Amino acid sequence: MGNMAFLPIAPEVVLLAGVVLVIMSAVVAGHHRNVWGTVAGAALVGAIAMAVLQWRELAMTDSAGELYFSLPGLEIVQGPTVVMDPFSAFAGIVIFAVGLFGLIGAWSLVAKLGARGAEFVTLVLLAVAGLHMMTASSNLVLLFLGLETASISFYVLAGFTRERINSDEAAVKYFLLGSLASAVFIYGVALAFAATGSLSIYGVDGLRSFFGDTIVTAPGTLLVGIGLMIVGLAFKVSAAPFHQWAPDVYQGAPGGVVGLMAAGVKVAGFAALARILVAGFPSQIDTWAPALAIIAGLSMIIGTFLAAVQDDVKRLLAYSGVAHAGYIMTALVAGAAGIPGMWFYVATYAFMLLGAFTIAATVSGVRRGSSSLNAFAGLGRRAPELAWAMLVLLVGLGGIPFTAGFIGKVSVFTAAADAGYLWLVVLGLLTTVVGLYFYLRVVTAMFMRQPVAAEAPGTATAEPAPTTTARIVIAVAVVVTVVFGLIPWPLLDIVRDALPL
Amino acid sequence: MDVPVLSIIILLPLAGAAVVALLPKRRPELVFPVSVAVSLLPLAVALWMLFDFSTGEAGFQYVEDVTWSESLGIGWILGVDGISLFLVVLTALIVPVAVAASRSVTDRTKTYMVAMLVLAAGMFGVFLALDLLIFFAFFEIVLIPMYLLIGIWGSENRSYAAIKFVLYTAFGSAFLLAGIIAMAILAGDAVGTTTSFDFRAMLQTPLGSTAQLWLFAAFGIAFAVKVPIFPFHTWLPDAHTEAPTAGSVILAAVLLKMGTYGFLRFNLTLFPEASVDLATVMGILGVIGIIYGAAVAIVQPDVKRLVAYSSVSHLGFIILGIFALTSQGLQGSVIQMVSHGLTTGALFLLIGMIYERRHSRAIADYGGLARVMPVFAGFFLFMAFASIGLPGLSGFVGEFTILLGSYLTLPVLAVIAGFGVILAAVYLLWAYERMFTGAVDKPENEKLLDLGLREIAILVPLAALVLALGVNPRPVLDRIEPSVEAILDRIEQTTDYVAPEFGRAEDVVQVEPAAVDHEGEG
Repeated sequence: MGNMAFLPIAPEVVLLAGVVLVIMSAVVAGHHRNVWGTVAGAALVGAIAMAVLQWRELAMTDSAGELYFSLPGLEIVQGPTVVMDPFSAFAGIVIFAVGLFGLIGAWSLVAKLGARGAEFVTLVLLAVAGLHMMTASSNLVLLFLGLETASISFYVLAGFTRERINSDEAAVKYFLLGSLASAVFIYGVALAFAATGSLSIYGVDGLRSFFGDTIVTAPGTLLVGIGLMIVGLAFKVSAAPFHQWAPDVYQGAPGGVVGLMAAGVKVAGFAALARILVAGFPSQIDTWAPALAIIAGLSMIIGTFLAAVQDDVKRLLAYSGVAHAGYIMTALVAGAAGIPGMWFYVATYAFMLLGAFTIAATVSGVRRGSSSLNAFAGLGRRAPELAWAMLVLLVGLGGIPFTAGFIGKVSVFTAAADAGYLWLVVLGLLTTVVGLYFYLRVVTAMFMRQPVAAEAPGTATAEPAPTTTARIVIAVAVVVTVVFGLIPWPLLDIVRDALPL
Repeated sequence: MDVPVLSIIILLPLAGAAVVALLPKRRPELVFPVSVAVSLLPLAVALWMLFDFSTGEAGFQYVEDVTWSESLGIGWILGVDGISLFLVVLTALIVPVAVAASRSVTDRTKTYMVAMLVLAAGMFGVFLALDLLIFFAFFEIVLIPMYLLIGIWGSENRSYAAIKFVLYTAFGSAFLLAGIIAMAILAGDAVGTTTSFDFRAMLQTPLGSTAQLWLFAAFGIAFAVKVPIFPFHTWLPDAHTEAPTAGSVILAAVLLKMGTYGFLRFNLTLFPEASVDLATVMGILGVIGIIYGAAVAIVQPDVKRLVAYSSVSHLGFIILGIFALTSQGLQGSVIQMVSHGLTTGALFLLIGMIYERRHSRAIADYGGLARVMPVFAGFFLFMAFASIGLPGLSGFVGEFTILLGSYLTLPVLAVIAGFGVILAAVYLLWAYERMFTGAVDKPENEKLLDLGLREIAILVPLAALVLALGVNPRPVLDRIEPSVEAILDRIEQTTDYVAPEFGRAEDVVQVEPAAVDHEGEG
């Protein structure tokens, strides 16, 4: 199987090769977007293949501990930099798949961008590479670099339809608040380094061996460091009270790309959080788990109640995303025992979100930002297939049985209940009920209201007809929601093994 | 049991829904007959099961047990005993009746029928599941088709009623899921896995009295909302009134029984100590429901709302019977569940039939209907008498057995509940008098057509069963009794409670319970 030493970074290598090829072929092929589109798709498929290869290799050799990748000759980087474990391999599969289907879903937007489409695709590939880096880094600075690669790409993507004023606004807002969060995160890394003298999670000088044989001499510094890292990542996954950017950005950014942004960042953000806390600071669990529980509880309450009063579907999904961040975080209060639940939830949620945003973009236009609830009125008659697909996805997001959302919810709540956080479980289940209210508001609009007259502001004029690419994404999202709701066992078995070292 | 009968019962309506959904668009006239036909299939299987069921066995029969996840303790575990048997048969009967009564649905008929059949599958699942996660899944999934039925095909205030219905029930379910997860973790600890949702494993899990109390409350809230027990009942009149006819029929006949079934199946067996401790409280809530529901029903100007409130009253009897914790009380509750399903279901059907003709539910809009529609009046009076509990009809067997059973342990409540029967006569007969007797004083009512053949065909089986159950409930009781006794035995074994029986002195040989029942039926 060749030189295994490069396998840990193989997905990133494939993606970066894809980036170069897309730029080059865009120069040569110009407006033939199918050419560079295919190249980008091939790069993402290749990255998925590499992640699967990693997973299989790990399953066969059972020697994950030796599969580090270190940069030779860089003295400042101590120990291993990239780690290949079932955790990072599974994260890769999910992130690259989200990237692939996100790109497919955004294709009708790309088609409208003309020659600039190639830039768009390049940025998506870079963002996805950065997201996976966040999950596969052993080194906290490298993790930060992955975070920034992804974030900066997304800042640009959010403002990509720059002729629209609220797209600009979204991009600027995202950039300013996002940079602040990144700064907070890296400050946390610095403080943790100050307290422990280590930037790496694994390896001889890593955090784990540090906590194994050393007494923490500056517990306060360490505590603040961990806290700031949590805050930085909580911002990225839009957990309350660090969520304020999400609704504006989701509403302002072009419809075609929001799903990818929202879903991809959630997967990677939670993976990074799990990696740092569970693998890096396992002995501090009594300190960080209650903090996570409080953030989770706040996210559920704030996200749910603010979602209930939204009249724009994208804002509704954004606020409900805050609540979902809370549910996913509920799994992490259980430490390593919660990671399988977190994976199941976040992986299936990412696809539901992708599908829901794709439908929202179809109903109100891929370039448009806002997606008023009025545009969904009477959708059950105007476009029944779209309406039924949306119903399935909303029911899945609402956690109704026989959808993946229900299994995810049971998994995370079981983990939290087992860890003794029963109050959080009850809070989560009660906010789920309120959640049903706003998901069903959309259903009510689709099936129980007459279409709003076309002159009214915020309504789509024509009957929404999804493009072929949008159809693919919606179909995949619906299939994921239903299949993993009916037969979750294979995925549950996989996520049980997808643990960090 | 080589043939998975129970899975077939659950899957048949789903397969039927798929068939209906795939019917060609240009043949809309096929939707109704095909739907009726496929809805009859589960009934055939259920009837076969009714006769094949071994009488006298207490345990679960036709058990299916497929493990889905060893470590999480989740499996496709189904089984039927004397209690669920009749609820399954009732469901299997009510669904084709409700489908057949939906002739007047012309808007999006296909979607309507699919929702109906999915609903049927969910209801079967609730009564058959022995894995609590699967049970919960079915318990909750029922909300979605019902939500669509009320919200799309209901009357004026439908979307409010639909959302209210979902939110109330889901609110209760939230506690149920929390309780199930907690219970599964405890059961998992006992058998050495992460969790175990297997009902039989849960029965073996020892629980402290505090844990029992909390879990009883968590399960109880969900079931109390569903029943509904006062003060969780406010969703019911809205949902029943706004739902289309078939929706009201299914709500009243089957959906409410999920709550009482839950109490009987899970609360009594899993938390026996808490059940004994809380029996009086639950009995009081049941009696409040009986009197309150009846009193409010009397003053309703809307006949559909009147019947809706009468459900609150009748379901109060069932709760009283369950928490009397006596053999008669429990048997009476199961009979009453079936009887209420038949009679109230039929009353909603009748109201739907008159509504289709006259488009009004206000009692004041009618008068003297017996002259114009004698057949209709006859059926209405028959079902009203059955609902009141006239001897010889099903309502009497249920309510009388319940009163008898509860008199042993909760005598004061039984006496108060007795007034509920009188109040039932007041609200139903008064409504009958205003709607059917006297002269036809509204010109709109003069030209109303009497029931057609299809409508009579729908009502006759219900009426026949009401009569059969009233005249000779023995075959039904024979099947219920062992399962009910098993629940009581379990309570007696795990607590120091001793269920009183008629004619039993401590030093005399125990009287055959069957003999007691014969006296009970009068």
